[in-house]
Amino acid sequence: MVSENSHLEDQQEPVQEGSDTRLLSVTSRRGPRSLPPIPSAFRTGFAEFSMRERMREKLQAARSKAESALLQEIPTPRPRRSRSPSEKQVETEFGTEPGREVQRTQLEEDSRDYSRVKFHDSARKIKSKPPVPPGFPSAEEAYNFFTFNFDPEPEESEEKPKAKHRGGTNQEEKEGEEEEPPVREGANKTGEEELLEGKDAEDLLLGLDHADADFVAVRPADYEGVRVRLQMEKELLFTPSRLTVPTYKKLPENVQPRYLEDEGLYIGARPEVPRTNQNIMENRLLTQEPGRRWFGDDGRILALPNPIRPFPSRPPVLTQEQDIKAELETLYTKAVKYIHRSQHMIGSGDPPGNFQLDIDISGLIFTHHPCFSREHVLAAKLAQLYDQYLARRQRNKAKFLTDKLQALRNAVQMGLNPAKSPKSLETTPKAINEYKSEIRQTRRLRDAEQEKDRTLLKTIIKVWKEMKSLREFQRFTNTPLKLVLRREKVDQKADEEAYEAEIQAEIRELLEEHTEDYEQKMEEYRTAHQQWKAWKKAQRAKKKKKKQAVEEHPDEEMEEPDPGETPVKPLPPEPTDRAAIEQQVRERAARSRRRPGEPTLVPELSLAGSVTPNDQCPRGEVLRREDVKRRSLYLKVIFNDKEVSRTDSRPLGADFRVHFGQIFNLQIVNWPESLTLQVYETVGHSGATLLAEVFLPIPETTVVTGRAPIEEVEFSSNQHVTLDHEGVGSGVPFSFEADGSNQLTLMTSGRVSNSVAWAIGENGIPLIPPLSQQNIGFRSALKRADAISSIGTSGLTDMKKLAKWAAESKLDPNDPSNAPLMQLISVATSGESYVPDFFRLEQLQQEFNFVSDEELNRSRRFRLLRLRSQEVPEFRNYKQIPLYDREIMEKVFQDYEKRLRDRNVIETKDHIDINRATVAKYFQQVRDSVINRFLVAKHHFLLSDLIVEEEVPNISILGLSLFKLAEQKRPLRPRRKGRKKVTAQNLSDGDIKLLVNIIRAYDIPVRKPTTSKFQQPSRSSRAFGEKHAASPTARSPTHSADYPLGQVLVRPFVEVSFQRTICHTTTAEGPNPSWNEELELPFRAPNGDYSTTSLQSVKDDVFINIFDEVLQDVLEDDRERGSGIHTRIERHWLGCVKIPFSTIYFQARIEGTFKIDTPPVLLGYSKERSVIAERGFDSVRSLSEGSYITLFITLEPQLVPGESVREKFDSQEDEKLLQATEKFQAECALKFPNRQCLTTVIDISGKTVFITRYLKPLNPPQELLNAYPNNPQATAELVARYVSLIPFLPDSVSFAGICDLWSTSDQFLDLLAGDEEEHAVLLCNYFLSLGKKAWLVMGSAIPEGPTAYVLTREQSHYLIWNPCSGHFYGQFDTFCPLKSVGCLIGPDNIWFNIQRYDSPLRINFDVTKPKLWKSFFSRSLPYPGLSSVQPEELIYQRTDKVAAAELQDRIEKILKEKIMDWRPRRLTRWNRYCASTLRHFLPLLERSQGEGAEDDHRAELLRQLGDYRFSGFPLHMPYSEVKPLIEAVYSTGVHSIDAPNAEFALAVYIHPYPKNVLSVWIYVASLIRNR
Amino acid sequence: MITTAASWFEKTSLESQVLLLTWAMAEVHVIGQIMGATGFSESSLFCKWGVHTGAAWKLLSGVREGQTQVDTPQIGDMAYWSHPIDLHFATKGLQGWPRLHLQVWSQDSFGRCQLEGYGFCHVPSSPGTHQLDCPTWRPLGSWREQLARAFVGGGPQLLHGDAIYSGADRYRLHTAAGGTVHLELGLLLRHFDRYGVEC
Repeated sequence: MVSENSHLEDQQEPVQEGSDTRLLSVTSRRGPRSLPPIPSAFRTGFAEFSMRERMREKLQAARSKAESALLQEIPTPRPRRSRSPSEKQVETEFGTEPGREVQRTQLEEDSRDYSRVKFHDSARKIKSKPPVPPGFPSAEEAYNFFTFNFDPEPEESEEKPKAKHRGGTNQEEKEGEEEEPPVREGANKTGEEELLEGKDAEDLLLGLDHADADFVAVRPADYEGVRVRLQMEKELLFTPSRLTVPTYKKLPENVQPRYLEDEGLYIGARPEVPRTNQNIMENRLLTQEPGRRWFGDDGRILALPNPIRPFPSRPPVLTQEQDIKAELETLYTKAVKYIHRSQHMIGSGDPPGNFQLDIDISGLIFTHHPCFSREHVLAAKLAQLYDQYLARRQRNKAKFLTDKLQALRNAVQMGLNPAKSPKSLETTPKAINEYKSEIRQTRRLRDAEQEKDRTLLKTIIKVWKEMKSLREFQRFTNTPLKLVLRREKVDQKADEEAYEAEIQAEIRELLEEHTEDYEQKMEEYRTAHQQWKAWKKAQRAKKKKKKQAVEEHPDEEMEEPDPGETPVKPLPPEPTDRAAIEQQVRERAARSRRRPGEPTLVPELSLAGSVTPNDQCPRGEVLRREDVKRRSLYLKVIFNDKEVSRTDSRPLGADFRVHFGQIFNLQIVNWPESLTLQVYETVGHSGATLLAEVFLPIPETTVVTGRAPIEEVEFSSNQHVTLDHEGVGSGVPFSFEADGSNQLTLMTSGRVSNSVAWAIGENGIPLIPPLSQQNIGFRSALKRADAISSIGTSGLTDMKKLAKWAAESKLDPNDPSNAPLMQLISVATSGESYVPDFFRLEQLQQEFNFVSDEELNRSRRFRLLRLRSQEVPEFRNYKQIPLYDREIMEKVFQDYEKRLRDRNVIETKDHIDINRATVAKYFQQVRDSVINRFLVAKHHFLLSDLIVEEEVPNISILGLSLFKLAEQKRPLRPRRKGRKKVTAQNLSDGDIKLLVNIIRAYDIPVRKPTTSKFQQPSRSSRAFGEKHAASPTARSPTHSADYPLGQVLVRPFVEVSFQRTICHTTTAEGPNPSWNEELELPFRAPNGDYSTTSLQSVKDDVFINIFDEVLQDVLEDDRERGSGIHTRIERHWLGCVKIPFSTIYFQARIEGTFKIDTPPVLLGYSKERSVIAERGFDSVRSLSEGSYITLFITLEPQLVPGESVREKFDSQEDEKLLQATEKFQAECALKFPNRQCLTTVIDISGKTVFITRYLKPLNPPQELLNAYPNNPQATAELVARYVSLIPFLPDSVSFAGICDLWSTSDQFLDLLAGDEEEHAVLLCNYFLSLGKKAWLVMGSAIPEGPTAYVLTREQSHYLIWNPCSGHFYGQFDTFCPLKSVGCLIGPDNIWFNIQRYDSPLRINFDVTKPKLWKSFFSRSLPYPGLSSVQPEELIYQRTDKVAAAELQDRIEKILKEKIMDWRPRRLTRWNRYCASTLRHFLPLLERSQGEGAEDDHRAELLRQLGDYRFSGFPLHMPYSEVKPLIEAVYSTGVHSIDAPNAEFALAVYIHPYPKNVLSVWIYVASLIRNR
Repeated sequence: MITTAASWFEKTSLESQVLLLTWAMAEVHVIGQIMGATGFSESSLFCKWGVHTGAAWKLLSGVREGQTQVDTPQIGDMAYWSHPIDLHFATKGLQGWPRLHLQVWSQDSFGRCQLEGYGFCHVPSSPGTHQLDCPTWRPLGSWREQLARAFVGGGPQLLHGDAIYSGADRYRLHTAAGGTVHLELGLLLRHFDRYGVEC
């Protein structure tokens, strides 16, 4: 086909006839190449005809085949359409080509073409109109679209219909096809022949390649004429008209448009849409959707007031600049010295810089001034009234209310006649009632407003009249004020009608109201009447009954009807009187409303009047004017109470206005606290007087320069000024009346117009101090508000709350001022859109997720890893985490989850009594919060933390070491060398050892021989009287006799137990043994965590127990004594020393002689003074009772104790005071670096507090005071004991790695746990309240290290109290654990020890001597009278005795169980008889505080349990929890007796002290029956 | 009996498989160091660095951001920091692959610090050790600022640090080239194959 077609040279014919695209393409191909079909003119004839025929047929075939496709497919006509212009082009090209034979014909064609174009429409009509089967027109048209380009050759146009005709029916077409083939062949041949000729011709002419022409077709660019396209579009597209649609078309028939706005209902502002766009839209809607649902009642398209979403879908950008540019904003930062605080990169510190506040002071107007003349006063009043009037007119409330009233009435009308409008279906009777009440209210409001308007107008006129009369009276004018009343004529008739209508409406409504009211009342009346009737009837019946009785007693009759009970006969309500109502309404209208026909008065105030010149005025007035001239004013700008600038001095104008027009740019660094303008007035050359202060509000952070409106701030002064001229003065009564009545007193007052705003920097950033700069404290509220405003209130408002509030407050939805709010609420409440509280940055994340979040969170491995990195205590020290989830047991998290769950649940299992449990919980919470606060600080390192730098030896050190080389070696005097300290990071289990050197002990109790019953009386009788003065001589004979097996007095050995590891020394002999042994105990850190913080929080104690090893003969048979020894070793606990690990850790080593904590009663043992006495120690030792042990404890390797946090803490102390403390401490440290000097401490909330604030007399519990009313010393001891009964808990344990936190005494008592400082503070406060002179002693003691003691001054001497044990020592007591004194702290001063020595033995405690004590507050820095942080008074609750008893029982039970647990291989028998004896005895011990009851007790016991060998002792402890009790009992080793016939006795006694302080006594004993 | 046992076995093995599949999340370890920097005009340099990830990434352990010491090279012109980076991520998606952003600062003889360059690079996504060179740039500022920088130090800085790694339109920014930061990152990927990611 292609080859065939390509031979066609005649462009016109095939194109004209064949709608086949290929044919067309051929022709068009030729165009651009400008191949001239030369022979076109000659070549008509047969070939042409046959071709035409063939083409026609083909066309028909194609058509018939895809008839429907042709009809419907739009694409098909497209290529055709676009062709026609190109054809044209071809032709024109031809036309322009010179020297061609074709030229002529082409030209002809051209001309023909033009003509044809002109009437192609008509031609097409002709062509298409002929009888065509119904499906065809579109194809036909398409066909025509390109054919019109060509010559409408008459024959062709004739033929075409013919062809169409033929093609119209399939039948015909087929026939044609059948007929054709031979013809076609013939045609082919001829065509080819012709082709050859034509080709030759072509070749000759153009020399073109055959092949190219055969296969390549050159097409012109497809183009379609504009007109054609328009034409096409016209049929396809619909262009709505731009003309305004008349309203009637948009509304249902016979409906008048209704304008809600005119009815007074509020309609939000519609979005701005050009009118034409609206018209187009309306037209389209009308044609496309005939329904009128798109149009509202007013005939306009329904539209939301504001279709813009009320909230952004992006999160609010924090910067003021919404520009994208902001993100790339750069800021020139000066090279500043780097502050090491904010070390992390992102969001590096606040941009430093200056901030600027622009204060624009434009002027000042006096509303009253002393120099005001009377006229001025009036003028000011008038001006004020006029301003008021203007403001009112602008608001026009009356009009608004009237409209509203109208709208409401309409609504009611509509509601009553539901037929009128379809909308009213919703309006229920309830709504109507609401409307009605609304109407009532609105009417009242409107009346009030109108009345106000009217009175205002009247007042204005009145004042004006007064002024006029005043002017007339004084015959001069001072002010240019002039009031003009403009009358506005009104249409009398219409006005009257409106007036009357209004009145009528009102009357109608009132009537309605009244009738309603009346009906209601009527109803009431009816019921009441019924009742009354019933009562009456009953009464009558009664009366009848009584009548007979009454007749006899006629005087009683009067009493009978009780006036109170008788229901008054109800009166029927009066029907409303229309006339009366009308009267009322009219009266009110007359009062408040303009009379009909009365012209509207519009006052206009102008300054057009003239002021009388000076020479025409009386003398007083002239004086006044001169005075005014002499005055001038200026303003001072006070920022944060500092004057920063002042305006120029400007003279006061005759109109009492001053114009400044100055702008002050305040460069500020701090957040403004206050901003004040001071108005100063100067008269003549005298000094300025302060007239008034104007306080300006500090602008919101959103107010920046350029946006700030000028505001007027009023001020007034209470100055009294009397002037000797016409000026009325200020604060002085004056009067307008001649007789001086009706006096007025006016104060100087005025307005300053100003604006305050934040400046905008060069780069558009407001120069506002960052929020962090704003001080904390009372401004925090403001700060928060600012934060909101900067983020955007809309983003933060709680919609639900707002909606709720709106519903409750019944906002008027029609009030324009509420419009945005209502809009917001409607959005919020409709629920269709909610404000998202998130913004999704990665929208498609969900689609690309491997797994869901839940699954990620479920992964145990990840959870474990995360918890470890978060340093959650339970997981902090996981060294290795399994690689697979399946290897991790769910169990791992159980503890942690339980802890999370139980955070608020009070667990009573560990803490037997509830109060302690709550306290423990609270303590935990405080601890958590404090730890969290310091978590960040803990990660800050200093250079010294990371780098260990050996000091470079300087010359002196070198010299010393050189000197040392030459030193004599002294091997017998060993020196301790400093060990290298090890930082605790690379340690693991077993690396750390605790070394305990037990050197010797003194004065250990010795055994008492087991006494037989008959010896008892004599012994006890002796023991009663002489407690301490047992004579050695009396006893000595018994010694040897009583010890079988030749045992010595006592065979003590020491057992050290730490973390349940037990080591013991060998057994020494005698009461003053010397062991000199080193025990090594391994140390295990909790969870294997050897970090500093964890080591600090190790709560374990080192127990050093002293036992007596007793050999017990267990030989059953005396006869065997010769052949075998059967003895059992028993150990009897004698006492213990308990040293907390934290002390060792912080002290690095502990060395000294410690008092052994022996039980008050040690059965079977006694102090053998006699033996010691022989050694000559007596003089010293006998001063104190008790046994002592010399120890040396250290850790190997030595650990570096953690330092406290180096953070600087917030403080509410005065800055000066803090500086002074720093200075004081530095000075002290310079002189005596080792002495403790404390000036400020950190309270429980992490704030620095000056230390003396903790000391204040506080009342001890009354109970303690009542105990020994006449013995102050005993009272003091009791108080000390009370304090010592509060459990001890070192801060380093509770606030691991942080610092010493001081709690106040009430907190301490609530927490019932604290360390030395808290105990000392409380004790000191008690002593102060007892009237003693008491100080806090900061010093160091053994074994505690740095600690706090209390010093009191008795009559002649000083006493040192250990607050944790309750013991007290004399100043010269050698066994006083306090070894050095750093400073003394009293309630009002601190004294630092600057004496040569610091041992309490050698110093003088007289703080009044400045040479010995350096005081903090001195003459140069007097005591400022700091208020105390302690409470006013401590309140003590009595402890519940029942609970204590219950606790007692439970502890006893627990301990018994424990002892049985500890003896797994033996049967534990309990001797109940003994236990009850012991139980009976414990309260006595408590009463005597464990002193002097021993012998008494022993006697008692012996009497009752004579045939038992008895060893046991009472333990005494403050109660904190059960665990320490168990630990203490365990450490005594009572349970370890292995004798098969051993029996046990255990008794617990708890003595409750106020405030839940409990003293626990545990008596444990083992008994072995003597045979 | 046999059948039930078999089915039980099947069931359990299936369950365990499911467990294995579902609870094995993709993990990425980034272990490496910031070696140092070359080509900066100043000599005393330090670097602040941070790692930014998409929302799908969870940091299991390690520190996201930090700062190196100041290094003053004595020999050669490369400042060595050898600052360790050790991060462990779990992820539920590939989006937001971790990227490192760096700020190189210099400290002058007065101890003042000024910005030398911003840099950014993605953490490599294939396992193994990678040597990365991260070129840096710094905002140029106006000529006034340039002059000020030349004489008194300091210099323009980005107000919003996230512009370093976010795709904001930076065409407004005039920048000057800084030196190059050298990084050495080792990557361990885990379980990515489970989710069809080949690495």
